[in-house]
Amino acid sequence: MLEADVEVDRRDFTVRASLQVAPGERLALFGPSGAGKTTLLEVIAGLVVPRRARIAVSGRLLTSTSKPVTALPAWQRRVGLLRQDPALFPHLSVRDNLRYARPGPGSRYEDELTELAVALGIEGLLAAMPAKLSGGQAHRVALGRLLLSHCDVLLLDEPYTGLDASLRRTLTDLVVALVAQRRVPAILVAHELATAQAFADRLAVLDRGRVLQIGPPGEVVLAPASRRVAELVGYSAFVPMPDPRGALAGVHPDRVVGGNQPERGLVLTGVVTACRPAGARWEIAMLVGEVTVTGRLPEAATPGRELVITVTDPPLFWPDGVTLSGTGQTGVEQAEART
Amino acid sequence: MAVSPVQLSPLRPGGGRSAGATVPRGLRYASGSLGVAGAGLIWLALLGPVIALATHLSWHAVASALSAPGALEPLVVSAESGAITLGVLVLLGTPLAWALARGTLPFPRAWEAGVLASLLLPPLVVGLLLVFMVGPYTPIGQWLAGLHLSAANTFLALVIAQVYEAAPYYVLGAQAAFAGVEPRLEQQAALLGDPPRRVFRRVTVPLAAPGLAMALAIAWARAMGAFGAVVIVAYHPTGLPMQIWTSLQETGLASALPFALVLLVVALPLPLAAYIWSARARGRRRS
Repeated sequence: MLEADVEVDRRDFTVRASLQVAPGERLALFGPSGAGKTTLLEVIAGLVVPRRARIAVSGRLLTSTSKPVTALPAWQRRVGLLRQDPALFPHLSVRDNLRYARPGPGSRYEDELTELAVALGIEGLLAAMPAKLSGGQAHRVALGRLLLSHCDVLLLDEPYTGLDASLRRTLTDLVVALVAQRRVPAILVAHELATAQAFADRLAVLDRGRVLQIGPPGEVVLAPASRRVAELVGYSAFVPMPDPRGALAGVHPDRVVGGNQPERGLVLTGVVTACRPAGARWEIAMLVGEVTVTGRLPEAATPGRELVITVTDPPLFWPDGVTLSGTGQTGVEQAEART
Repeated sequence: MAVSPVQLSPLRPGGGRSAGATVPRGLRYASGSLGVAGAGLIWLALLGPVIALATHLSWHAVASALSAPGALEPLVVSAESGAITLGVLVLLGTPLAWALARGTLPFPRAWEAGVLASLLLPPLVVGLLLVFMVGPYTPIGQWLAGLHLSAANTFLALVIAQVYEAAPYYVLGAQAAFAGVEPRLEQQAALLGDPPRRVFRRVTVPLAAPGLAMALAIAWARAMGAFGAVVIVAYHPTGLPMQIWTSLQETGLASALPFALVLLVVALPLPLAAYIWSARARGRRRS
C-alpha cells in the first residue's frame, strides 16, 4: 500500500494531493501539461523536497515533515521511476543494465533476469549495447531494469510518449500484467486520456495541483464531477438547457449520435458549419443557437444544411461549474427531480 | 542572409536547382583538392619538428650522450616529479572539476577564472610570482622551513612549478568530461539504489573516463615539458627540459638533441595511449 499525502510548492501554485494505491493497483494521474503530475511523482521518488508530506509504502515511512521527521534519500526508497527517456547506461550492455541494481553473480538473479527478459521479449539483446536498441527495445530494457531492482512502488511518467500506438499498447499490457504478478502499487502519469484509461484501475484528474475527481476510468468521462473536469476529459461544448433554466448540458464529441432520439438524451438542431474526416468518422461542427457543437459521426454532412443530433445522457452543470447530474439517472431526469 | 535548411534539401519541390549545383564541377574538384592539400601542409608543418629530429639524430650520438655518467638522472627526475604532479592533480583537481561541471560551487565564474588565470599567465611570469609566493622569505616559505622543506631549487619546487603549468589543462579537460555525463543517468542510478559515491564510481567516472584520460594525458605532457616556471624556481634538480637547456647553453645543439628525443619518448606514449583508448571506448559505446 502506497500512501502519499503531499503538499509541494511550484512556481505559480501549490500541489496538494492525497493518494492511496493498493498493492497491484494501477492509478493513473491524468491532467493537462503543467498540472503538477510529474512533481508529485518526483516527491514520492525523493527527487523534489515537499513543503509538507507524509509518504509511506506498506508501513515504511519514506517522507514525513511532522514527527518523526523523515526524508529518506532517493537511493534508500526502493521507488522505481520510468520516464520518457529510458536513461539506459550507455557504457553497460543490456544484461549489465538489467542487473544494475543486483550486481555480483548470484544465480537466483540470473534465472530471474532470463525469465524477465523472455517476458519482455529482449532475451536476444542481452549482449547488445544500448546505442544499438530501438526506442521500444530501450523502453523494455528500462522497465526490466526497474522490475529487477525489486522496487516497492512503480512510477511511470509518460513513459511511452513518442512511441507508436501499437507498441504503446503492447508495453501497457506488459506493465499491467507485471504489476498484477508482482503486486506493487503503480502510478502512471499521462496527459492523454486514452493512455491513462488503457492503464488504470482508477483515474485521478489533476488540474493546477488539485485532484478534481478520482474514480473508475469510465466514470470520469461519463459523469465528470465539475465543468472543469468535463473540459479536461474532452467535453468541447456546453449548451444551455431550456429546463431547468440556466443549466448547461456538456457535449462530448464521442457521445453524440445522429437523428432525433429523445429517449437517449438531449436532441439538438443546428446548421452544419464544417465537416472534416477524423479517423474512420467525420468531425462535424454545427451551430446550435450561439454555441458551436462538435460531434464525431459515422456519416459526413454538408455545410450549410440543417442537422439533428442527439447528445446521449449529457451531464448537466450550473453556470458556476458545479455538476447537477450524477451517474445512474440521466441528467435531464435528475434536473427534473431537483426542480 | 540566412539560408533555411529547407532550401538546402535536395527534395525541394519544383525541381529548382540548389545553390551548390550551380558551381561548375571542375571548380568543386579544384577547391576540394586544394582543401586536402592545405590540410596536408598544415599536418606536415605540425609534424615538421619531429621529422627534423629524426633526420638530424645519429644513433651513435644518442648512445654516447646517454651512456655518459649521470646522463639518465634528468629522466628519473622528470618521471618522478611528473608522476607526483599527476597524483596531486587527480586528487585535488578531480573534485574541483566535478564541482565546476555540476555547478555546485557558489560563484562558479570566479572559480573558473581562477583556473584560467594559471593558463593565461605566461609560464615565466608564473615562475616569478611563485618565488614571491613560496620563496624562502615568504610566510609559506617559512612554514615550509619549519617542516624542514624548501620550495627554492628543490624537488618540491619542481613539482609545484609543474602543477601550476599542468593544472588548468587537467581541470578544464576533466570539467568538460564530467559535464558530458547526463545528470539523468546519475539520478537513475540513485533511484536504483546507489548512494552518491557508488553512482560516481559506477556511472560518472566510467562515462567521463575517455575525457578524463585525455585530460590526464595532456596534463602529463605539459608537466614533462614544463620549462618556463621551472627555470626560475627549480633550476635544480635537473629535469629533462632543464637538461636540454643547459646542454644547449654549454655544448651546443648537437648534445641537446639526444635529450630532446628522450623527452619525447617519455612524454608522448601516455597521451598516445590515452588517445587510442578513449577513441576505442567511445566507439564501443556506439556499437
